[in-house]
Amino acid sequence: MLKFKLYYDKDAEEVWLREMSLKGWAFKKFFLGFYTFESCEPGEYNYQIDLLDNWSGNKSDYVSFMEDLGVEVIEQWWRWVYLRKKAIDGPFEMYTDAESKIDLYSKIINFFKIVLVIEAICFFMELTATILTGNFMYGIFTVLVGAISLAILNVVWKCKWKIEQLKNEEIRMY
Amino acid sequence: MDNSSPLTEALFYILLAVRTPNHGYGIIQDISEMTGGRVVLGPGTLYGAINSMLTKGWISLYSEDKESRKKKEYLLTKIGRGIFENEVKRLNELVENAKKMDEEKEMKKC
Repeated sequence: MLKFKLYYDKDAEEVWLREMSLKGWAFKKFFLGFYTFESCEPGEYNYQIDLLDNWSGNKSDYVSFMEDLGVEVIEQWWRWVYLRKKAIDGPFEMYTDAESKIDLYSKIINFFKIVLVIEAICFFMELTATILTGNFMYGIFTVLVGAISLAILNVVWKCKWKIEQLKNEEIRMY
Repeated sequence: MDNSSPLTEALFYILLAVRTPNHGYGIIQDISEMTGGRVVLGPGTLYGAINSMLTKGWISLYSEDKESRKKKEYLLTKIGRGIFENEVKRLNELVENAKKMDEEKEMKKC
């Protein structure tokens, strides 16, 4: 089965993949917003999405580390990786303490900040082109890029909010 | 002390779990046992902590099983042991001082 969705919030995406798994659809592949699913036992897998430090880096090290823990790396999209674990092997949460969760959300913010800069440049280029040529197509692209930029801004804001929440509940061994 | 103190619970228990050579799965299991299932480290949390401690030289790579090409084992280093001992000293101080609370109660009884 193929589904098209645009997610900017990985937490919401994880929830959706879990829901699909509960309906008997196991996520398999991702490409440009297209998700491929295979049929599975309802609720067979739990999913997590992680952001790697590098584009290439020591990916094999990461993959074999996860495999040893019963976690399968099923897909990589840029620096994003999709992971799954069989539900019968126990609960699946990649990050379990406030410190590592804060690290992850900070990493996500930094990732999206770069994307946001690129989007902003595209937006002004499209906007200039629209004004200069008056071309309808440029106008559509301007609106599209603008909408994406706003969605990314929203995610950055959400991550910042999550970090604040985590800082409040952060428990250290005093 | 440097900014490594106080240690997070995850770092504290990982250091403890690699006092003898241990691999990722073993570390999670040992910590879960030690804490009666209260602290169960997530794969991402463990991966990040191990890499940062390898960089800081608190732990080192002990072995890499060539046959299965997997299962890396980690071992506490001298630096790591020092960090751990400093933390225990600090925790002992807390516990020692905490006893003052009971002493006060005793005094009131008399």
